[in-house]
Amino acid sequence: MEKILEVKDLRISFHTFSGEVQAIRGVNFDLYYGETLAIVGESGSGKSVTTKSIMRLLPENNSEIKSGQILFDGKDLTKLKDKDMQKIRGKDISMIFQDPMTSLNPTMKIGNQIMEPLIKHQNMSRHAAKERAIDLLKLVGIPKPEIRVDQYPHQFSGGMRQRVVIAIALACNPKVLIADEPTTALDVTIQAQILELMKDLQKKIDTSIIFITHDLGVVANVADRVAVMYGGKIVEIGTADEIFYNPQHPYTWGLISSMPDMDTDDEELFSIPGTPPDLLEPPKGDAFAPRNPYVMKIDLEQEPPFFKVSDTHYAATWLLHPDAPKVEPPEAVKRRQSQYQGTVGVGNGVALEKDKFPGKKEGK
Amino acid sequence: MAQKEKLLEIKNLKQYFNTGKPNEVKAVDNVSFEIYKGEVMGLVGESGCGKSTTGRTIIRLYDATGGEVLYNGVNVHGKKSKKQLKEFNRKMQMIFQDPYASLNPRLKIADVIAEGIDIHGLAKSKEDRMNQVYELLETVGLNREHANRYPHEFSGGQRQRIGIARALAVQPEFIIADEPISALDVSIQAQVVNLMKQLQKEKGLTYLFIAHDLSMVKYISDRIGVMYFGKMVELAPADVLYKNPLHPYTQSLLSAIPAPDPISERTRKRKSYDPASHNYGDNESIEFREVAPGHFVLCSEKEFKQYQAHYKH
Repeated sequence: MEKILEVKDLRISFHTFSGEVQAIRGVNFDLYYGETLAIVGESGSGKSVTTKSIMRLLPENNSEIKSGQILFDGKDLTKLKDKDMQKIRGKDISMIFQDPMTSLNPTMKIGNQIMEPLIKHQNMSRHAAKERAIDLLKLVGIPKPEIRVDQYPHQFSGGMRQRVVIAIALACNPKVLIADEPTTALDVTIQAQILELMKDLQKKIDTSIIFITHDLGVVANVADRVAVMYGGKIVEIGTADEIFYNPQHPYTWGLISSMPDMDTDDEELFSIPGTPPDLLEPPKGDAFAPRNPYVMKIDLEQEPPFFKVSDTHYAATWLLHPDAPKVEPPEAVKRRQSQYQGTVGVGNGVALEKDKFPGKKEGK
Repeated sequence: MAQKEKLLEIKNLKQYFNTGKPNEVKAVDNVSFEIYKGEVMGLVGESGCGKSTTGRTIIRLYDATGGEVLYNGVNVHGKKSKKQLKEFNRKMQMIFQDPYASLNPRLKIADVIAEGIDIHGLAKSKEDRMNQVYELLETVGLNREHANRYPHEFSGGQRQRIGIARALAVQPEFIIADEPISALDVSIQAQVVNLMKQLQKEKGLTYLFIAHDLSMVKYISDRIGVMYFGKMVELAPADVLYKNPLHPYTQSLLSAIPAPDPISERTRKRKSYDPASHNYGDNESIEFREVAPGHFVLCSEKEFKQYQAHYKH
């Protein structure tokens, strides 16, 4: 598979009154053509900062890219001049924001807002751009687009506004679409519609999507691959099946078991104790160590490298080291592992052995 | 189900806004249900369906347009002396959705929590007051050192714990929790839900738990009511509602929740709900009927028979 976007050893800090907040501390990932990569994590884990840095939307006065590269089409986006970046932003890479109530301009007709990128990037005439805007509204499922195109955002409901935002983002057929919690502000029934729409459109115009969310249900619905972020780093990355049915990092275990599914009848919900790390003074070893029930001495001293679980699945936890003691994951995770072994045979890409840690473990 | 004591009876509750004007909104329209002592009643629905308004009208943050709310047999609304009202306020408390907006930023945590204690004169001395605050902080998993801090020094999860401590301060019997976890991170949600469940057991509380996160509601509730456009469309024990939803809106709502399970997500079939699909005739009476013991559905006479037949299979 071909890569469209490569993020290499990205480190980003914010300079605040209380000191330097190391929001991103060495993030690496690739985005392939036509895939959907979901980034999950709690607020403050760095998922939004990562994607905003790809769009170069971080505030210039207090943020700093300490190191790393973002390669798109052979160009390093971190080094581009503002003017060159403007040619990419909204055209090749575009973004859908979380809150459809605030991401549209309330004083502009939605037609004009959709036409803006078309006129700017594709040198369309106003007339042609309006035709295209109507087509786009039709594409995202807004009834009576000929009338709606001349209306203002307040005349649309939340779900309809998010459709408009999607139409704007898709106007120039972007190669990469970044969706930052696009459904969090919406109701479940509307959320289901928007997710279906996005999947449908992805097939039609063949973009790659980076999907940020903290809702694991949504991830299971849309993602081909999943990256789990914690404390400014990716702690586990793999295909959706690998992350949901064979997770390796204790933080992923915690996330998955703290969500009740429809069959959960346990007396107490599994919860991750404690609070996320303070990135003003990031901990020395594994950032998750203070909340990790499986913590080992080395977690407090040295950051774990990525261990390979399969060709597509990596996790940064010392538990995967050959010398680590074998630990039992929480019940909910074990249930998933066995369920998965039942439904998907071995040899289906993932080699699941009886051993809890499948595959040969080697440092990367 | 054993005969349980009714704590709260809501009868034909109506809450209209802008009454008499062209833009009249029937936020809550003829809703009736009961809440039993010691249970958790869940209330779900989309935004704008009137679930929060129902909660707020029950606790008398709004004056009801019609209907009545009986708490232990006494009407909550209607004329009351200050003393009666105060007594009632002590029994019923509320936890709000947004922990960032619901704590006064200029009060210390001790004063936030002790406000109710002061109003109701529940502390004998200054020392007693502080001891109660410390105890409450520890009950909700915070430290006594936190008493002298201000709200901005706390994270969302901690603030929601403070909100819970404040509600508990006056030793209430009944707590309305209006989306208490939807502003929190996933890993913190589980902490707060566990805390609420544990407190319920220890103190024998009754909850009305309002939320749109259906999997969490299923987990915490004994019974669940589903609201749609100001009306209660279905009410049943939690398990029954999930296994055997009868009203098409409930079915569509359940089919829309994404499950954290890629395999089932790939095969998911979503149902959509069209209110016109009922094809109600003009003379049909649409009522809230008991299809099976404890399972109520808003339906016509004809649908009622269909639903009952469904149960026999």
